[in-house]
Amino acid sequence: MKKYWKFMSILVVILLSIGTFYVKSVTSEENHPEFVIETQSGDAKEIEALILDGYYSDTSTMNYKSTNVKISSEGSTYERRSFLDQIIGEPPAVIKEYQEKYRTFMRGKGTDLNSFSETDQVLAYADVDYKTDSFHSHDFNFPISILNKEDASVQSFTVEIPDSENMDYAFMEDVQMIEDELYLITNNMIRSSEGSYDEKHVYTIDLNNQTITNDETFSQVPERQEGNHIVAHIIRTNPTEAHDQMILLEKEIKVIEDHESSYREEVVKQEGISYNLATKEKESIPMSDLPIDSELSFFDGSSIYFIGVEGQEIVVSPYHLADGKAGEEYRLQLSGDADHGSAPMTTIKDGKLYLSGQQINPKLNMNATDVIVADVKTGDILFKGQITLDDSEAKNQYELYLHEIHVE
Amino acid sequence: MKKYLQLVNFEFNRIVKLFTVLLGITFVAQMIGVVVQSRSYLNLANEKMYKEMMPQAEFLESFGQMSFLQIAKSSWFFGPIALCVAGVAFYIFFIWYRDWIGKNTFIYRLLMLPTSRLNIFFAKITTILLMTFGFVAVQLIMIPIEIMVLKAMVPNEFRLDMGVMEVVTIIPELTLIFPSSFMQFIFHYGLGLLAVSVLFTGILFERSFKWKGILAGLLYGALAVVVLLLPLLLHEFVLNNFFYPIELLVLEIIMGLLVLSASIWVSGFLLKKKVTV
Amino acid sequence: MIEVKEIEKRYGRKKILKGVSFTAEKGEITCLIGINGVGKTTILKAIMALTPLHKGQILIDGKPIDKHSFEKITFIPDSLTMLPNMTINEAMEFMKDFYTCWNQKRANELLGFFRLEPSSRISSLSKGNTAKVNLLLGLALDVDYVLMDEPFSGIDMFSREEIANVFTSHLIENRGVIITTHEIGDIEHLLDKVVLLDDGLVTKEFSAEAARENEGKSVIDVMREVYQK
Repeated sequence: MKKYWKFMSILVVILLSIGTFYVKSVTSEENHPEFVIETQSGDAKEIEALILDGYYSDTSTMNYKSTNVKISSEGSTYERRSFLDQIIGEPPAVIKEYQEKYRTFMRGKGTDLNSFSETDQVLAYADVDYKTDSFHSHDFNFPISILNKEDASVQSFTVEIPDSENMDYAFMEDVQMIEDELYLITNNMIRSSEGSYDEKHVYTIDLNNQTITNDETFSQVPERQEGNHIVAHIIRTNPTEAHDQMILLEKEIKVIEDHESSYREEVVKQEGISYNLATKEKESIPMSDLPIDSELSFFDGSSIYFIGVEGQEIVVSPYHLADGKAGEEYRLQLSGDADHGSAPMTTIKDGKLYLSGQQINPKLNMNATDVIVADVKTGDILFKGQITLDDSEAKNQYELYLHEIHVE
Repeated sequence: MKKYLQLVNFEFNRIVKLFTVLLGITFVAQMIGVVVQSRSYLNLANEKMYKEMMPQAEFLESFGQMSFLQIAKSSWFFGPIALCVAGVAFYIFFIWYRDWIGKNTFIYRLLMLPTSRLNIFFAKITTILLMTFGFVAVQLIMIPIEIMVLKAMVPNEFRLDMGVMEVVTIIPELTLIFPSSFMQFIFHYGLGLLAVSVLFTGILFERSFKWKGILAGLLYGALAVVVLLLPLLLHEFVLNNFFYPIELLVLEIIMGLLVLSASIWVSGFLLKKKVTV
Repeated sequence: MIEVKEIEKRYGRKKILKGVSFTAEKGEITCLIGINGVGKTTILKAIMALTPLHKGQILIDGKPIDKHSFEKITFIPDSLTMLPNMTINEAMEFMKDFYTCWNQKRANELLGFFRLEPSSRISSLSKGNTAKVNLLLGLALDVDYVLMDEPFSGIDMFSREEIANVFTSHLIENRGVIITTHEIGDIEHLLDKVVLLDDGLVTKEFSAEAARENEGKSVIDVMREVYQK
């Protein structure tokens, strides 16, 4: 037995050393502070379905690793993304649902929500596909798949994108399934001898004949613009609902150099356009002067909620399409410093507007961030609260970044 | 089983001297590194603060605090690690060839032992594993010791303390050797084990067929790589991203196990039927 | 009985063994004789599965070789089968660990017989003594068959005598021995069977005793006859 001592001892050293290392790495993750959403006014029931995703990092050490955190009315839960998770990836919650419910159909399909449109009867998918070689892109086409939810039958086909000789690249902005027609809203980047353009197109797909029956360019923005430049964005909608209207926000922006190398943008003009996918009718929407943030704004199919930020206030200007009338503008007050901070996150569900700040950083004097739930039409506040650390004596060196807000 | 363990013990004892020497070199070099880097920082501090009369706060602002990172990124730290890696890489081949070369014909004895010849393969691969994990394990013990020495040499205010876990996760090259989760550890070293088993098979091809064997070994290696990458290649180029990520992962694990089993089987076949002394 | 049946082997393009067949009985000393390079060593290696064959079959007591056979047959090659930096004691320990048929008593006997110091390192020994260690490692195993490749090559005269004495002792008794040599002078009187090899084939397989009694010829006489044809 004693001639085995060298081999045995190295074995023991290996097991103890590596074992301890990994046991420690697992247990050290449990020292994360608890974040809570403190109620300041209103009914805490309003945030029961609210979930905020973000990253937490402890900046008191040199370790810049961040951990995923989910904050809800029940507090905060930390997810150590295991190695497996990192390989597997995290598609958005809605995509995950689709993958579970319609596993075969979802195979090989991308995870961009903008490529999907769901109705009671079908789940439609369309994407932009093309080949690139060193000089240019070509063979632009739409791979399209429609799943009939009732009988699980699938219709799959590909259509060539017309007039795509000068297209450099393109992506799907939105897919809408209305009756038997599929509307594909894309952003195409055109590069020709006359110049480069960003064009927004609506393609109408006839599902029975599997052809493109219409191709309309409803916005064209040149790439290189002298002086002021124009940007065009489509106001976001709930991707799992189908709407036959699309709202476009066009802004003319002037760049002003403040001093030295910093600059700011000033909105010179902004225009809202509603576009009917089926009839191709365009209508102009009257808008206030306050610059609207296209990322925060929301369209629920019947009303557009134009959302902008002014100082420490969120300004919501509803506009009801059917009536053609604007609703009453209302403001929601945010706490904190006007200098720091990115714009808040918003989402709208079931007639309620959910709002949350995005950052907590004690070093920058941001020790809490707001959570507000309001009636989207009237602006009546149903809940107002703050995300703070439960433990007041916890260390001051950390950063919390929230990046996703959703309501179950 | 008993014969296998006896062989492992035997093979390990053959290399234990070199192994210990490498460990010693690593410890000494890294310790020197701690001392040298700390001294140089302290000298800098002294010069700035006492010769140039820079206030402490300004010094800390411009030059920052001393942390273990400065040591871990130096060649005093990395050099010996590279040496140990080179040592293991070399021994992967030498563990076989040493029994054949020159006047040493110990391979006769190994092949004439009343035990499955595959045990020779298993014992040699186990020895490589013991060496590798041995280096990793001892390095994990050395780092806290080196941190303590750093703490003793540099005063509090000038120091930014880090734990072993932090050191090891911040430096990208080190995360290869010390992955941050156990699953990742199994993954990295499982892949390493696979590579060694394929290399061993190649070596046995050479020992069985000489020049043709080298060719066969290289072909086998190429085949192993293709089989391993097959699910990914199919997924990307043929099947249009057919698989869900977890399915790809499972497929890859299966492919890995397949290549490992094949290497073991082919090596056993070569050892029993084709190898020549 | 060891049966070698029609074995063929090529080294590259050259065919070394072109269909060699012979048998070696337990309790007999069989000698393979032939010029250098005729393939004697190759045959012994092939019996021990240390080199592959292209055709043919080798059976030991009716069965092809497997891992258990190594407790029944041993090979003492021309070169050392132990690590040179081991001491004789360590070498014997090794053998004891791996072979159930290792006979330490017999090993001690051989140590005395060959006058070897067990604590000496093998690398420090002379050629003659190294050969004796090699023999010891093989003979101290209680195996049925012992294969020896050129046990006398490069050994001084006195060591040769010692080794030759082993053949008459109880250490060889009842075992089947196959020996290759091209110096049969020392052991001609001990041989039971002789296998003459030439150009990859067995030219003659005969019993030494029969040749002596029936034809009045010594082994060397027979060899002369065969090779001068």
